[in-house]
Amino acid sequence: MTYDVTIIGAGHNGLVAACYLAKSGLKTLVLERRELVGGGAVTEELHPGFRCSTLDHAAGPLSSQIIEDLNLARHGLEMITPEARVLALSPDGSHCCIYNNVAPTINEIEKFSANDASSYPEFANSFSRIGRVLAPLLSMTPPSIDQPTPGDLWQLGKVGLAFRGLGKKDEYRLLRWGPMAVADLVSEWFETELLRATVAARGIHGAFAGPWSAGTSLGLLWQAAMDGSAIAPAAYPKGGMGGFTQALTNAAKAAGVEIRTSASVSQISGADGDKPTVVLDGGEEIEARVVVSNADPRTTFLNLVDPIDLEPNFLLKMRNFRAPGVVAKINLALSGLPAFSGVNSSEATSKLSGRIHIGPEIDYLERAFDASKYGEFSPEPYLDINIPSLGDASLAPSGKHVMSVHVQFAPYKLREGDWTTRAEEFANNVFVKLEAYAPGIRDLIVAAKVITPLDLEQEFGLSGGHIHHGEQTLDQFFTFRPLIGWAQYRTPLKRLYLCGAGTHPGGGVTGLPGANAAREIARDFKDRKI
Amino acid sequence: MNSKYDVVVIGGGHNGLVNAAYLARAGKKVLVLERRHVLGGAAVTEEIFPGFKFSVCSYVVSLLRPEIIRELDLPRHGLEILPLDGTFTPMPNGDYLWRVNDHARTRREIARHSRLDAEAYDEYGKAMIEMAHFVKPIMSMTPPDPTTLDPKAWKNLAFLGRRFQKLSDEDKYNQVQLMTMSAVDFLDQWFETDVLKATMSASGIIGTFLGVRSPGTAYVLLHHYMGEIDGAFRSWGFARGGTGAISNAIGDAAREAGVEIRTEAPIAKILLRNGRAIGVVLENGDEIHAEVVSSSVDPRLTFMKMIGEEHLPDDFCTDLKRYKYRGSSGKVNLALDGLPDFKSLPGPGAHLRGAISISPSVDYMERAYDEAKYGRFSRRPYIDMVIPSLTDPSVAPPGKHVMSCFVQYAPYNLKEGTWDEKREEFGDTVVDTIAEHAPNIKELIRDRQVLTPLDLERDFGLSEGNIFQGELTLEQLFFLRPAPGWAQYRTPIKNLYMCGSATHPGGGIMGAPGRNAALQLLKDI
Repeated sequence: MTYDVTIIGAGHNGLVAACYLAKSGLKTLVLERRELVGGGAVTEELHPGFRCSTLDHAAGPLSSQIIEDLNLARHGLEMITPEARVLALSPDGSHCCIYNNVAPTINEIEKFSANDASSYPEFANSFSRIGRVLAPLLSMTPPSIDQPTPGDLWQLGKVGLAFRGLGKKDEYRLLRWGPMAVADLVSEWFETELLRATVAARGIHGAFAGPWSAGTSLGLLWQAAMDGSAIAPAAYPKGGMGGFTQALTNAAKAAGVEIRTSASVSQISGADGDKPTVVLDGGEEIEARVVVSNADPRTTFLNLVDPIDLEPNFLLKMRNFRAPGVVAKINLALSGLPAFSGVNSSEATSKLSGRIHIGPEIDYLERAFDASKYGEFSPEPYLDINIPSLGDASLAPSGKHVMSVHVQFAPYKLREGDWTTRAEEFANNVFVKLEAYAPGIRDLIVAAKVITPLDLEQEFGLSGGHIHHGEQTLDQFFTFRPLIGWAQYRTPLKRLYLCGAGTHPGGGVTGLPGANAAREIARDFKDRKI
Repeated sequence: MNSKYDVVVIGGGHNGLVNAAYLARAGKKVLVLERRHVLGGAAVTEEIFPGFKFSVCSYVVSLLRPEIIRELDLPRHGLEILPLDGTFTPMPNGDYLWRVNDHARTRREIARHSRLDAEAYDEYGKAMIEMAHFVKPIMSMTPPDPTTLDPKAWKNLAFLGRRFQKLSDEDKYNQVQLMTMSAVDFLDQWFETDVLKATMSASGIIGTFLGVRSPGTAYVLLHHYMGEIDGAFRSWGFARGGTGAISNAIGDAAREAGVEIRTEAPIAKILLRNGRAIGVVLENGDEIHAEVVSSSVDPRLTFMKMIGEEHLPDDFCTDLKRYKYRGSSGKVNLALDGLPDFKSLPGPGAHLRGAISISPSVDYMERAYDEAKYGRFSRRPYIDMVIPSLTDPSVAPPGKHVMSCFVQYAPYNLKEGTWDEKREEFGDTVVDTIAEHAPNIKELIRDRQVLTPLDLERDFGLSEGNIFQGELTLEQLFFLRPAPGWAQYRTPIKNLYMCGSATHPGGGIMGAPGRNAALQLLKDI
């Protein structure tokens, strides 16, 4: 039996692509290395009775188009969107909570600065306006620079017109902000250090960059394109991130997709010819008309494809595709809700239900990054925390909680020692920081799971441990992601496609790379190119 | 005095002079006003200590546009460029890296460190030259306004787009990387030798508040391949008689074209009538009227000091305040009794005739930057030294030498103390750093001049001590320099133009801003 399409990796992008391809009538098989589907968007039992999103803990946010197209609500997707987006903590016990709504946010900011409170609405509006213009870029296939097709030009023209509609002021804002350091951007808007750092954090999330690195503002613009705000929300599916990939699995199966877990691919062969084959670890060979890799570009081309099939020049560029991971994850099972200094218990449940941000100053974030340049993890790390059990009681026994901590910076390559020997020291360092903000939290820890960048690579197959499958800097963006000339989900091998976060529009749980790739693949089938 | 000029140019730096020369050649009656007693602005030679002549600020030349040299006939006006051959980087382990213009020798030298790098060096050079050819015409164009609806302006943008489209895939890839990546990331793809990457990447950070790992620093690597002296690609040099000789040659050419130049003529205000510039008022009260005022000083001085916020649109003021200066470098000029003796390559020799770069490793460079980010000058800074007296004996007494040390990082805003308090401590740090590589330096120093960013601001009119009149980062380049919508050398004040390094294509002794502005101005009026 031959499949039309074999997809490598049942992460959310692989599943989204599978759904779309199956719906367009193609017989689709998805192969997952682990024993459960979901890739970076999974929920696992951390301790009996405690379930937690293993890696990603907030949706990207998901594309509403995909939710609608794939009817995910019917397949069990239920989103939890806390009113609080992020609670920023300061070491002196003060805090600032940013909500979805502008009005209560202003009240919070006013505690720090009247100026900032009055700039906030315009800040929110500008990003929402600019976000609307950028949004169509997310779901389009980046145009070819060499030979733009009429379709490419039409798409670009539409974006161009929308850009025109912004007015001169916003047009220039957009042009200036793209390459700017996010620290500069936030200081143009706000004077409160805590607020600056909280907003800036989005620009360095998952990136080998500090807020002073040029180009980090791009992260904010991209975030705005996804949901109209520069500040990432805490939205997550019921049941944790696995709830999303579970709904996708249901949708995929309903569309006729076959999914095999514990099926680790060791090789892709013959993708330049007519009969591409994937070889599994056990030696089993699976033939298909097309192979689609949801693995990151480096893994795909440097590990799975025989180098003889690729031009040396392409391989060289692939080796130079930058994916230096800097993120570690710590998941905690807690016997109670931790008490954060300065957050009184009456408001705790609402304020703690969004993301919790530790990284009170721009300099703090920058210092955290500095360490990673020299192969050290941050002595004082930047933490992005979620307590999903506050909004979803199904995740922990009553009265108990799970806490998911995204830790930056934890460079994949340590200069001294390695991650196996230093994981404990690393975790301890994070606990010390948590304890400083939530005294007594250590006593609440029932179980902890530490996932180092090395684990991200070995267990989750992320090359270099990079959560976005590769840096999202200007040179690895849009028509340059993963490489200039290969940004249209196609590869130098005729029957091999990419559909993961290493393609446009990149990382985060959006599902868009998968959906975009599926569109191109289906088109090639239709045009009888494959 | 109230004689009427067509154009009065504020500032007798190299851009102001180039601007004036081009305007006068087109038949305009032009007056240049310089605050100091010498011409040249930051491109100036001064006898700081008796017998020792220093290129006080800017110290090497490479980017001076060949069309300017040609059109203003600068060699006839006394410009002579002497070659500055090579870059010598001493290393703490007793080794060194010494690159020279002779490609074959450099390849052998690099092969001592890495054979792979020696091979890559040739390829790298070829790729860079391709890129430099692509970028070159952009230097001499007026940046288009991408938000305009005027189809004529779009012609320029389309021109750039098509040029890019026509590049080979390989060159496109390189070009995108160069425009956006950090120097170290870019070089990592080509080379493995740390000291080589450190020294090459140093050119990417000069004058900016960025580190070698900061995105956006790769672009300046290109400049090394754009330096054209008498048509020879990729060579750097000294002007005989110091950098001031360049300004003097341009000044001579300007005078010959009929420009009137007045020194010690500081300007208090730009005169406005009905929102138009009609001339300037000197600090002594003299009013000078002109049809057009062309300012080569930076936007802060031009607009905030000489015009005043109340006469300017709000948005423009906001943009000017956001324009980043953030000086990050200082200068130490040393009068020496003899030549420094480097531990890693003892004795006098040709290695002292080129640039001597204290940039032993990428981490060294990056740590120097880290300190500056938090408001301290680097305890072990990057230093780029030259000893011009070896090539041009006229600048020092016989047997003696002048040594010019460009130092980074020295942030304008110190977290603790002031630059007036820290000046000598900074000077000591620089000398100590050199002494780690050339221990005899301390005994050789007769006199030293330490220029902090504050001194650059006070003495040379460079706001916050930025040697480029504003950072050369992507968001401040091309159609965003110095302010969105005002990159065509015009300003919101009618008949007021900008022609300094704060306009496209930016700083360095290029002269291009002055020339571009003059051509634009002539087209407009």
